[in-house]
Amino acid sequence: MLSLYTDAKYQDVMVEEKQALFDQVTQDMRYPDVLYGCYECGICVAACPSARFYDFSPRVFAQVMAREDVHTFYELLNDSVWDCSQCFSCTCCPRQNNPGAIITIMREVAVNNGLASAKEALQAYSRIIFKVMSTGTQVSPDMLQPDFFPDWGQDVRDVAENLDVWRRAIPPETMHTVELAWDVSEKTRLELYMIWKLTGNLEMIENIDEGLFMILEEVMEELLEEHGYDIDDFDNILED
Amino acid sequence: MGLVRNCLLPSDLLYDVPTNIWVRELEGGTVEIGMTDIAQTLAGSIIHCRPKKVGKKVKKGKSVATVESGKWVGPVRSPFSGKIAERNDAVTEDAAILNRSPYREGWIVRIAPDDLGGDRKGLVGVEEAITLYEDYMQEKDLASCIHCAGFEE
Repeated sequence: MLSLYTDAKYQDVMVEEKQALFDQVTQDMRYPDVLYGCYECGICVAACPSARFYDFSPRVFAQVMAREDVHTFYELLNDSVWDCSQCFSCTCCPRQNNPGAIITIMREVAVNNGLASAKEALQAYSRIIFKVMSTGTQVSPDMLQPDFFPDWGQDVRDVAENLDVWRRAIPPETMHTVELAWDVSEKTRLELYMIWKLTGNLEMIENIDEGLFMILEEVMEELLEEHGYDIDDFDNILED
Repeated sequence: MGLVRNCLLPSDLLYDVPTNIWVRELEGGTVEIGMTDIAQTLAGSIIHCRPKKVGKKVKKGKSVATVESGKWVGPVRSPFSGKIAERNDAVTEDAAILNRSPYREGWIVRIAPDDLGGDRKGLVGVEEAITLYEDYMQEKDLASCIHCAGFEE
């Protein structure tokens, strides 16, 4: 199969390796519902915020997958798959394609296979993954730090310095939090952890960031112990 | 004082370059560990540091503390198997100490190692650390260390 783009990168990677990853995407149970064919009308690109700022096109994903172009697929899987903001504006497609969902599946395949490009792309977001998996809230107010938001200028310094005061000014008491977007009960955290563990999501993290996996496991299993649970019980549930 | 790409590496310490940890041997056979200048630069402004409790047993390569900056979280890996003898509560209260004084006020835990001599073999002195860090920083595309206001050597 020739590539849609003759200058596709990663020519040195064996076609079998690319094909195996391609097959993992197309064999995903969601795949038949996300791609029906492409008119090349470009409506998805017109609606896509990432396309305005990056060399990124949701249409290319639909095209490449429909043509079974494994070489360009592999390039997308390693590069522009991480440029999508997952807003799903592209679901305005007149053929009911869902390029954003193709990308969701591709990202999962990249992570499950521990691709170096996925590790690199996610490295800077380890605390966000940590927050989601240990608390269920994604963004915490204390992420507002001057070195992460230089574009905010002096404003971010003022916010960061007096964060607890700003947060206490928000009416709901559940949002008087700095390290979390809102208060999360320990019961919720434990339930979440059980879900991640039993569904294999923790293993996925282990593939991508062993250090993060180690912290998550330690923090959450200490919490379980404090609440009198034995982690082996979960293994028993898995075996059942 | 060793220097590589504006990163300071005190001469009296030992280093575990892959995990970015420095080690200071103390009297009585315990060791003090902390993050290097390179580690604090890579992390950015550190906002939380949570060392493990005193008395906890730890295996070599496993975490003795969790460090968080704006969007990054990572473990502080112990170069020794042993027991945590002491932890620095000052860094729990003000984690920015790790950026400001990584080698003095910013020590994280003191460990009573099970096998000081054995585990020490995996560490390097400052001269070797300089050479290894030159490659490490090249690989991480890190041009130089960044020192915040009030940085203490």
